[in-house]
Amino acid sequence: MKHSNRIDGKRQRVKTILATTLMFVTAALLMVPFYFMFLSSLKPGTEMLRNGLSLTFDPGVSSFKNYEALNTYRDGIYWQWYKSSLIIMVLQTIVGLVLSSMVGYGLAMYRFKGRNAVFTLVLILMMVPFEILLLPLYRMLIKFHLTDTYFGVILPYLVPPFMIFFFRQYVLSLPKELMEAARIDGCTDYGIFFRIMVPNMIPAFGAMTILSCMNSWNNLLWPLIVLNSNEKFTIPIGMGTTITPYGNAFDVLMPGAVMAVVPIIIVYLFAQKTFIAGLTSGSVKG
Amino acid sequence: MKKLLAIILVIAMFASLGITTAFAEEEPIHLTLWTFQELHTQLYKEMLDKWNANPDNPKLEIDMQVYPYEDMHNKLTIALQTGEGAPDIVDIEINMFANYLKGDIQLADLNDIVEPMQDHLVMSRFNNYAKDGKYYGIDHHIGACIVWYNTEILEEAGIDYRDIKTWDDYHEAGKVVLEKTGKPMCTWESKDCWSIYPLVNQHGGDWLTPDNEVRMDEQVVIDTLAFMKSMLDDGTAVACPGGNHHSEEYYGWMNAGNCASVSMPFWYLNRFTDYMPDLAGKMKVAPMPLWSDGGHKSAQMGGTGTAVVKTSEHVDIAKEWLAYATLSFEGCVNTWLILGFDPIMTDVYGSEEMKAPNKFFDYYDDTIFDMLKTILDDIPDTCLTEYFPAAADIVRNEMAYDLVIGGGDPAEIAHACAEELRDAIM
Amino acid sequence: MSENGKTPLLKRGFFTNPKVVPYIFIAPFLIFFLVIYLYPFITTILMSFQKIDGPNSVEFIGTKNYEKMFNRNFKQALMTTFRYAFWDVVVLTIVPLIFAVILNSGSVKFPSFFKSLYFIPALTSTIVVGIVFRLAFGTLETAPANRLLALFGQPAKDWLMFADTGNFVLILLTLWRWMGVNIIYYISGLQSIPSELYEAAKIDGANSVQQFFHISLPGIKPVLIYVITITVLGGFAMFTESVALWAQNNPGGVGRTIVGYMYLMGFYKNNMGMASAVGLVLLGLVLAVNLIQLFAMGFFKKED
Repeated sequence: MKHSNRIDGKRQRVKTILATTLMFVTAALLMVPFYFMFLSSLKPGTEMLRNGLSLTFDPGVSSFKNYEALNTYRDGIYWQWYKSSLIIMVLQTIVGLVLSSMVGYGLAMYRFKGRNAVFTLVLILMMVPFEILLLPLYRMLIKFHLTDTYFGVILPYLVPPFMIFFFRQYVLSLPKELMEAARIDGCTDYGIFFRIMVPNMIPAFGAMTILSCMNSWNNLLWPLIVLNSNEKFTIPIGMGTTITPYGNAFDVLMPGAVMAVVPIIIVYLFAQKTFIAGLTSGSVKG
Repeated sequence: MKKLLAIILVIAMFASLGITTAFAEEEPIHLTLWTFQELHTQLYKEMLDKWNANPDNPKLEIDMQVYPYEDMHNKLTIALQTGEGAPDIVDIEINMFANYLKGDIQLADLNDIVEPMQDHLVMSRFNNYAKDGKYYGIDHHIGACIVWYNTEILEEAGIDYRDIKTWDDYHEAGKVVLEKTGKPMCTWESKDCWSIYPLVNQHGGDWLTPDNEVRMDEQVVIDTLAFMKSMLDDGTAVACPGGNHHSEEYYGWMNAGNCASVSMPFWYLNRFTDYMPDLAGKMKVAPMPLWSDGGHKSAQMGGTGTAVVKTSEHVDIAKEWLAYATLSFEGCVNTWLILGFDPIMTDVYGSEEMKAPNKFFDYYDDTIFDMLKTILDDIPDTCLTEYFPAAADIVRNEMAYDLVIGGGDPAEIAHACAEELRDAIM
Repeated sequence: MSENGKTPLLKRGFFTNPKVVPYIFIAPFLIFFLVIYLYPFITTILMSFQKIDGPNSVEFIGTKNYEKMFNRNFKQALMTTFRYAFWDVVVLTIVPLIFAVILNSGSVKFPSFFKSLYFIPALTSTIVVGIVFRLAFGTLETAPANRLLALFGQPAKDWLMFADTGNFVLILLTLWRWMGVNIIYYISGLQSIPSELYEAAKIDGANSVQQFFHISLPGIKPVLIYVITITVLGGFAMFTESVALWAQNNPGGVGRTIVGYMYLMGFYKNNMGMASAVGLVLLGLVLAVNLIQLFAMGFFKKED
């Protein structure tokens, strides 16, 4: 008995070493593109053209000079793009969270005529490629004079179906007694939602905050169609203007790319715990 | 009552003050300009400052917006389709231009600024942007195709590039270069048109007739493709790294001295100065080799048609400024000095202004225009009908790929591509 | 106060009427649906029957757009899309699942550290990372991927010039970006399975493979359905990844997807009518594949 326990322990240790090594190697591989990006951001653009991507750090040609170039490139327009991206990200995330959490809650907590139809609709919309609606949507924006505005950019993301779906799933996993107890205490339905349920949904909000920030920060096609002024461009569009058929402005592109990852990683690191907890409990029920 | 009077007086005073200041300092007219090429804005800004420096001109303020290449055209399409959000002035790439000449044309015709100047201009460049006798775009360059030789490699192989007169000479020289140095003579693009189209066009071929008859499977096209393939087969030509001569991979590879020559339009001058600095002093430009069975001295390739949008509130002033910026002697000289293009105005060639020292003369030598002058008299027109974008797309994405990467039979490729173009036209 | 189980009538306004309240909660979605989806959708259907050459030049041409659609380029785009979507679903369903099971098995040290780290690629912009991938899989022998091949004595490859290797790079890019997200989804599913089930299985002498197929897999079915559904959508509607690797100049159409073709038709070739028709075909495809998948997984049986 003792003997086999020792073998088991040994096997477990080997398993742990193997598994942890695998995880570590994978993690290292996943970081390689970041390493490329960071190294390249330190090199002058001509160096990129001469030698392409390289994994070797060459202190002779590397410096943080390119990061300074972000301030001077076209009168510091990079930071304008940064500001636009931040504004759109914050607006889109707040509005999206408020509205879709309400809808998701409504779908999960109430039984009413047409509930299944509405939920099926949400499911179907999750499968509709948004791209096919671009042109009619743009025509609509023009009618309402919303082109070149931040509101126009966030309009199609006011109540994202995937968020509704997620909040519904999450609320379903919460104990119904919460709501019953509050009702007995004389709360109105809205009071129950805002004062009782919302605090209980914080992990879900954490998860959706990150997903929404991610989507908004990297969104390319729609903001590109809506926005006209270079100063209002978001980072992905702005970076696109540095990629031309005549040769890329690597001096700006690479440090710009590195700086563009920073805020979203900060949001992630802050919300990470709630985020993972939220995703964990929200996606359990199909 | 007195109070009221006083108030009225004060208001009147301010009002008149407002009116007089409005007269004294007239509001500048605000225009929007879209471009996909940031470089162009340098020329526009220079010409705008000069315009505003002249007190006789109405003050202009031009908001220059730079977009990614594809996206600018897509944006323009949507803006013109929906009739709102379009700029006043816009740079449209030549391959895309015909898209905007379909149906109800949303661009203003520029005949009133082009026609007075036509004796001084290379008019074939304007036909690319014309429909039914109306000009809709102004180009910045001729885009005459020439060849860049890496003299260091050629010298190593014991070849003088000036002895290369025909494409057959070029091929033979390539064999010597390959044998002596192990390096290819040239690269053919596999995802773009700058190898196939210039050669075909110089050879006397084209993709379409003005009536949209497909010429893609004519013998001259097949012969040209066969020549290109023969060079690929013996290794004197290789597939362009990165797929075209504008990829960063190609720049790096070429810059490292891996290839003896490249054939591109004149505007490629600045790619060498900007992206291949290590070749300074080594590269020499020369006319394209000739085809022994006919054809022309060069071909005119690429371009940007700058257009004025019909729905603009300031069509006339936009046209006037555009004429000043691009059709004036000064504008054309600056096109060379700032952009390194071969200007569309014949008057500027040989003028003193063009001889001002600049980075291009430093990189190559100052005989560039003497060379260019020898070929300007024999450059064929290209035929850009409304189906040209479709043809260009087929060449870029299929013909080039099938020939250079797929290694297919030239005749079969030409026939397949021609059939596809015919389908698109039907 | 609530003797008869009802809120006193006096307190009920319109907005607090229990019959109305649920609709107020879902009202944002209904308005959103009408404005952002339904109206544009109907417009798209109309446009697919039109030839549009400008604001004042719209012509009704019946089903011509649909008849002309099936040319070589469209078929190639279909092929590319199916190839990508297939491998996308296979790879992005299985690989993260394996990692999730290992991470959840208790055999890994610092599991939450790895979970967080794996997620970071999802935070990057595809366009920017695409440039890194494009250069890494360049045509030159000095490109990183080709250097790696050389280590194994393999000749250099023109990765992005061919459909199969190009698809490989696409899948790799997608896997790189999305692996961490799916791992988190799976782990959430795995953690919801009561540990007693595993203990009971152990007592019955089931090995870890048997445990996986008999306990873990059925237990995470809802999550699996969710992951597959979004992966199918992502696979069929893929566009940005392709743009990042090839821009619009796809050599020989390699890597051009249906959305890419739609974009090409609508904006590049200024043929909005055809683009709308292609878009609707795409919509049909995505819905069909997903509905088949959902039926096959027994999703609808579960709903009450």
